Amino acid sequence: MPATVFHRVLLIGFASAALAAGCTDSAPSAPPAGEGKPLRILSLAPNVTEILFAMGLGGQVVGRSTYCTYPPEVQALPAVGDTLQINLQEVIRLQPTLALLITRRDEVPRRLQGLGVRTVSLQSDRMNQLLDSIRTIGRETGHEAAAQVLLGRIQGDLEGVRRSVAGLPRPKVLFAFPMTVGSSRIMVAGRGTFVGDLLDVAGAENAYPETADWPTIGPQQVVALAPEVVVINATGEDAPPDRVDAIRRAWASLTSVPAVANSRVHVLTEAYLTIPGPRVGQAARLLAETIHPELRRAKEGANP
Amino acid sequence: MRVRPFTSRGYVGGILVGFGVWAVVAAVAVGIGGRLWAWDSVAQMRNVLALRLEWVMTASVVGAALALAGLAFQALLRNPLAEPYILGVSGGAGLGFILCQLFLSVVLAPLLGFAGALATVVIVYTVAQRRGRIEPYTLLLSGVIINAVYGAAIMLLTALARPEQRGDIAVWMMGNIGAFGPQWPLIVIVGALAAGVAALFALFAKGFNLVAVGEDTAGALGVNVGRLRLVTFVAASLVTGASVALAGPIGFVGLICPHLMRMLLGPDHRRLVPATLFFGATFLVLADFAACLWEGAGNRALPVGVLTAMCGGPFFIYLLRTRWRRMMETR
Repeated sequence: MPATVFHRVLLIGFASAALAAGCTDSAPSAPPAGEGKPLRILSLAPNVTEILFAMGLGGQVVGRSTYCTYPPEVQALPAVGDTLQINLQEVIRLQPTLALLITRRDEVPRRLQGLGVRTVSLQSDRMNQLLDSIRTIGRETGHEAAAQVLLGRIQGDLEGVRRSVAGLPRPKVLFAFPMTVGSSRIMVAGRGTFVGDLLDVAGAENAYPETADWPTIGPQQVVALAPEVVVINATGEDAPPDRVDAIRRAWASLTSVPAVANSRVHVLTEAYLTIPGPRVGQAARLLAETIHPELRRAKEGANP
Repeated sequence: MRVRPFTSRGYVGGILVGFGVWAVVAAVAVGIGGRLWAWDSVAQMRNVLALRLEWVMTASVVGAALALAGLAFQALLRNPLAEPYILGVSGGAGLGFILCQLFLSVVLAPLLGFAGALATVVIVYTVAQRRGRIEPYTLLLSGVIINAVYGAAIMLLTALARPEQRGDIAVWMMGNIGAFGPQWPLIVIVGALAAGVAALFALFAKGFNLVAVGEDTAGALGVNVGRLRLVTFVAASLVTGASVALAGPIGFVGLICPHLMRMLLGPDHRRLVPATLFFGATFLVLADFAACLWEGAGNRALPVGVLTAMCGGPFFIYLLRTRWRRMMETR
C-alpha cells in the first residue's frame, strides 16, 4: 500500500501547524536552565529532535515522539506518541524539565504545563521560521553558541547552493507527494511552504502559482500547470523500487506535461527533503542537482 | 401507470434508448467535465480526454454493477430496502480488500473483496432466515449490525496500520472514482462482469418476477428458487466485490437506481434488468460529473461515495415511509 497521506499531514502539521500557535515561550518565565544541571528534554517533533542532536544535546533528550527516527540513535529513546495522541503517563514517568513541540493545538502545551513541564512551541513552516526555531532552541536550552554554529553551517550550505544555481535558467518545478490508493489526487508544495522556499534556493520557479500550503490537486490541474520538471518525494511506503516504478508509470500517461514529455519526472526517496531540520542544505543541494543536471555533470567533471 | 405489453421489438428499442441516454450523458461528462475546448494544445486536450474517459468509464461500470446487485437483492430477498451497501455486502468487500492490501498482497485484493462480499451475503441471509422465510426486519437489522461490526473492524485495522497508511484507508473508504494511475484492466474486468451479470439476470427475469409474487407460487410454477437464489447471490456478490475493488464502497446506488426504474417502468424484471444496467451507469456518471463541476468551481474535491450517500439517505427514508409500509400491510 503506497502513499503516506497521514504521514504527510502530520509532517505538514509539524511544519505548518505552529503557524497559528506562534513561537511562544509558555513557561512562567522560568530562568533558562542549562548551566551545570543538564536538562531533561522531551522532543515532540522529528525536526526538533534532529536539531537537538545536531547541536550536541542528544544526551539531554529523554523522550521523543513516535515520528522522531533520525538520527538512528534516537530510536533507543522512549516514544510518547505524538501531539494528537500522547501517552501522558509515559511523559510523567520520564520527568522532563523542558518540552519542545510543534503543534497548532494548544491543549497539548497546556496539558504539559499542567504537569509542570516548561513547554516551548516552535514553528518551522518556512525557512526563516526554522532558523528562528534553532535560535529559540539555543536560548531555551542555554546552548546559544551551539545554535549559532548550526545556523552558520545551514546558512553556509544554502548560500553555496544559491551561488551554484545563480545565472542558470529557473524551470517551472512541481514538487509532489505520490498519489493515494484509489484516488486521483496528489499533494503539492505551494509557495507558502518550507519546500517552496527550498525550490527557490535550488534555482526553480514553483509551478504551483498560489501561496496555499499543501493543496491537493488532480491530474487535470497538473496538465494545466504544465511543469517543466516534476519532483516526487516517495518516502517510507512509497520508497521500494516497485512502488517507484508504479509512480513513474502513473505519471507516464500525462504526455502533454513538458516534464513527462522530456523525461523530467524525478522520483526522490530521500525523506529529509521535507524535514525542516539541520539537513536543509543537503536537501537544497539534492533538489538543485535534480533540477539542474548540469550541476552534477560539472561536479563529476571537476573531480573525475 | 400505463404499462405497455412486453414485445421483443420494444425490448431491443428500450435497450437502445437506455444505451443512448448513457452515451449522451457520458459524452457530456467527458466533454464539459474536462473543459475540452479550453486547452492550449491538442496534446493537453488529448491527455485530459483520456483521463475523463477513464473516469467516466469507471463510474459507468461501477454504477451498473452496484445497481444490478441492488436490483437482484431486492427481487430475491423480497425487500425494497435491500442494497449491497445497506446489507453490508460492500462493507464486507471493503474489509476483505483492506485486509488483503495491508497484510497480503495488493494484486489479490479484489479476490478477497469478492470473498468478503460473498461471506457477508451468507451471514446476513442465514441470520435473517427463519423456518425458510426471510424476515424483512431481521434482514435489515442484520445488515445494520454486520455493517457496524465491519465498521469496527476497519477502524481497528486503521488503528493498527502504520500511520502513513491511515490516510489511504480513510480516503479509500469514502468511495472514489478514478485513480491517478491508469486502471483500465480493472475497469474492463468490472465492465465485463457487469455485462455478464446483466445477461444472467435478463435470463432470470421471469424467475425474479415470480419470486416477487411469492416463493411458494414461484416454486409451484417450476422455478428452482434455491438454485436461482444461490446463483444470483454469487453473481451479485462478485460484481459488488469487483466494483468495491475499483472504486471503494459507494453506497445507495443499488437502492436509488432500481427504485427509480421501478417507478418509471413498473415491476417487470424483463424491463428492469436492462434499464437498471444503463441507469446505474448513467447515475454514477452524473454523480461524478457533479463532483467534477463542484471541483471545477474552485472547491475541494468531493468523494463521489459521499455524494451518493447524501442523496441515498433521504431516499431510503422516503422508501421506508412508502414502499416498506405498503409491503408490511400487504403481508
